[in-house]
Amino acid sequence: MTSDREPLYEARHIDKSYGSVVALSDVSFTLHPGEVVGLVGDNGAGKSTLVKCLSGVHSPDKGELLLDGAERHWKSPRDTIAAGIETLYQDAGLAPDLTIGSNVFLGREKPKPGLLGKLGFLAQKDMEREALADLMQVGVEVPPSSRTVSQLSGGQRQAVAIGRAIAWARKVILLDEPTNHLGAYQAGEVLSVILAARERGLGVVFISHTLPHVLQVTDRIVVLRLGRVVRDAPTAEFDAESLLGTITGLIEI
Amino acid sequence: MKPHAPAASAAELPPGPQERRTAKRGTAMSSVTDKAATPAAQRTARQADWLRSILGNQQFLLLVALAALVGYFTARNSVFVSTGEIAGMLLVFSELILLAVGETFVIVSGGIDLSVGAVAGFSGVVAAFAMRDLLAGHQSEALVLTVGTAICASIGIGVGLVNSALIHWARLVPFVATLITLGAGTGMAIVLTGGAPIGSDSAAIGLTADRVGPFPYLSLSVIAIAAIAWLYLHRSRYGRYTFAIGSSAFAARAAGINVRRHLTSVYVLSGLLAGLTGMVFYMQLGSGAPTSGDGAELTAIAAVVIGGASLLGGVGQMGGTILGALILTVVSAGLIISNVSPNYNKVAVAICIAAAASLQALRPSGRRER
Repeated sequence: MTSDREPLYEARHIDKSYGSVVALSDVSFTLHPGEVVGLVGDNGAGKSTLVKCLSGVHSPDKGELLLDGAERHWKSPRDTIAAGIETLYQDAGLAPDLTIGSNVFLGREKPKPGLLGKLGFLAQKDMEREALADLMQVGVEVPPSSRTVSQLSGGQRQAVAIGRAIAWARKVILLDEPTNHLGAYQAGEVLSVILAARERGLGVVFISHTLPHVLQVTDRIVVLRLGRVVRDAPTAEFDAESLLGTITGLIEI
Repeated sequence: MKPHAPAASAAELPPGPQERRTAKRGTAMSSVTDKAATPAAQRTARQADWLRSILGNQQFLLLVALAALVGYFTARNSVFVSTGEIAGMLLVFSELILLAVGETFVIVSGGIDLSVGAVAGFSGVVAAFAMRDLLAGHQSEALVLTVGTAICASIGIGVGLVNSALIHWARLVPFVATLITLGAGTGMAIVLTGGAPIGSDSAAIGLTADRVGPFPYLSLSVIAIAAIAWLYLHRSRYGRYTFAIGSSAFAARAAGINVRRHLTSVYVLSGLLAGLTGMVFYMQLGSGAPTSGDGAELTAIAAVVIGGASLLGGVGQMGGTILGALILTVVSAGLIISNVSPNYNKVAVAICIAAAASLQALRPSGRRER
């Protein structure tokens, strides 16, 4: 739907190995504004590694990353966050001992006004209140934001992580298994939040093992197998059966 | 501050988010209303909540324990609450609290610093050499102590940097890295001094006797440092990052926090406070004694653990640490004043740790099930 426009975020010929294990090999990938791209593949196909390269956690061994057409070399997630890219990491993005509010504002805390703020003191009450409002606004309902994340259920944690990513993202959202730990109803909520983000013109990368979700919400699907892209096509060209076959390799391309 | 408010306002969400949200709130409420079915059950539940929140408030329990201990030792010997005795206890407390404050930051960040006692001993000795020479040259006491403090602080910062280098470059776990500097510091202090105390500075000892009421000036300055540290751990961005890293280093890094730089500063802070403790030892003894810090790291860690911190990181309270250090001070002073052999001191410390740790197991919020 958007192939005539400039890509928002692009990876070209990415290689990444962990020691002797090749995680990604010659992976290319584009994401347009207002597009949801599904990233699917079996366990170990390289999905999470690709996300970590795109989010600045890992640097690729080879290849280029381009945001708005300009080549970027991320040194750490700090750089991607500053560039407007938000990431939900599979099961690992929140600090469990911090409150919900502190997690939503982690890394971009609001200082108190005046001298106290210059000395490093935080406007905690403001942050707790704004965090709750942000989460509500993206359709995430959570308990009082003064609770610590360790006191939340798996679904609630996931909701906080998604809410944080959506609330802060300006360009790109990378979602690694956002519907994990969620019941059918909550997963539906997440999917509508993703669609709302697309309406805002954000680019969304959606990783999931739940193929019906992928077929339901994405515009395009990239299939990874053993670190390589084996198929990159509009979602309309897949059905549940052909997608599964492509992932497992039963259908040869 | 925020780049933009999320535009996905409720109204834009497809289809009919308002109904969905109401429905959700309905389900969330239902469990609460079920519980409230009978007033009697409700009351029991409330009492249980109250009991659990009391049991869960480590600092309140520590305060009660501290008051009970003071009351008990006073009943045994009323001298215990005399101005002089309190001043003496505060000086002992001053030897412990800075180490415990630094250790709190380290433990909350998910690490441990075993080197603090050795740093205190080693820095005190090195500074004592310099101060002895200055005194021999008839320099003023103020200058002598200022130079000594600067030397102690620099050595502490230096060891903190070494600890951090061992952790981040040599990739040692903090326990091993600081075990190395513990051994090196203790050994060097003995080697440099041959085991004997360095210097004889009676003016410094005299200064520790100056006080307002029962508060020696030395203790007041140390308490001021602890108070600032309390504010920074619990109210500032620095403290927030310390908790975040101890809770999940990955989450902290993913949120854009420079984890390595922050941890370096934490070990430097711990080293700095340990160095200053070397100066506290010097002032009390009037000399730099190579063994003055031996085992102090374990007492400091005990204070932190009694205060409710988790050695897994991410959990801890400066108020708890301060109360823990007070309890340990009161217990050891109380045993002496009750004519119990000081040999029992370590057993008493062990009992304090055991009691505090078992209370934590009763805490209402079950720790992370990750």
